[in-house]
Amino acid sequence: MNLHKKKFSAAVISDIIKPQMTSLIDILTLLLVFLIQSFNAEGTLITPSSDLELPLSSSKQPPVPSMMIEITHDAVIAEGKQLASNISFAASPDLLVSSVYAWLSRQKSADGGPKRIVIQCDREIEFNIVKRVMYTCSKAGFTDFSVLVIED
Amino acid sequence: MKTLSVGKKGFLPSEVIEAEIDIDVKPIMNVLIILIPFLVSVAVYTNLAVIDMSLPPNVTTAAAQGAANEKPKVKITVLVAQSFCAITLGDALLDSIPRAGDDYPYDTLAARLLVRRAAADVKDEVIVAPRDGIHFKYVVRIMDACKKTGFDKVSLASATESPAGGR
Repeated sequence: MNLHKKKFSAAVISDIIKPQMTSLIDILTLLLVFLIQSFNAEGTLITPSSDLELPLSSSKQPPVPSMMIEITHDAVIAEGKQLASNISFAASPDLLVSSVYAWLSRQKSADGGPKRIVIQCDREIEFNIVKRVMYTCSKAGFTDFSVLVIED
Repeated sequence: MKTLSVGKKGFLPSEVIEAEIDIDVKPIMNVLIILIPFLVSVAVYTNLAVIDMSLPPNVTTAAAQGAANEKPKVKITVLVAQSFCAITLGDALLDSIPRAGDDYPYDTLAARLLVRRAAADVKDEVIVAPRDGIHFKYVVRIMDACKKTGFDKVSLASATESPAGGR
């Protein structure tokens, strides 16, 4: 009698704990649609530096990989190497940043002369810093500039 | 013993119908579980873009190289100061737009630029000239306003600090 009772209750329990998959599938479908929307087949050609916050812009022009220079809160960086600290040249009477110029000149002679440079600049950086870096780039032979931004 | 035929389906008790149309969702779940981590890994949450710009050509050099009689064409310049932005053409101040709170009035600037562009000789080029203390985010926004107005080429120059011209 006891055994029979046990069997009966197990059957009832298995009926009760049958999971409801409908809501779970609903969530997963919504998630799938959202993820497919944000899927980019081209991939990211340029990786922004993690230690700076890029400015927002309404520009839709896609970035093209080229030589890159980063202006963070503290320093000017290229290829992961610190070229100059911002404090060292911010108040200088000369617009040319010698260490940045030396690196850019080396790159220019090694690459055979790309004229374009992409500047990654933190949004809170003062123009005083940016203009010195741009001036140095132009002196090193880079005449076309692109500023990396986040699409608004 | 009950025998159920297809023709009699309409008369079946609801519990029996439910039992018949129970779909096996395991394969769908398996596909979704594999697909979602893949899509999460390739999803792009921030779209990057670039703004092309250049430095203004050195007028002195251009004049030396070019014809001596030809005067360099004067371009519209947007001066960006701490408390205002101004549209100038050569020495003439065309518009002065005060800063509104934390930000510059970009829409007003774009509207004024549109008017000034119609009357300018050089319609495709504008010079943005911020002062030293201006944060780069404002410079980018003003370049955006210039591009929106129809100026294809944006040059970036530096505005001199002038005590008479305000902060």
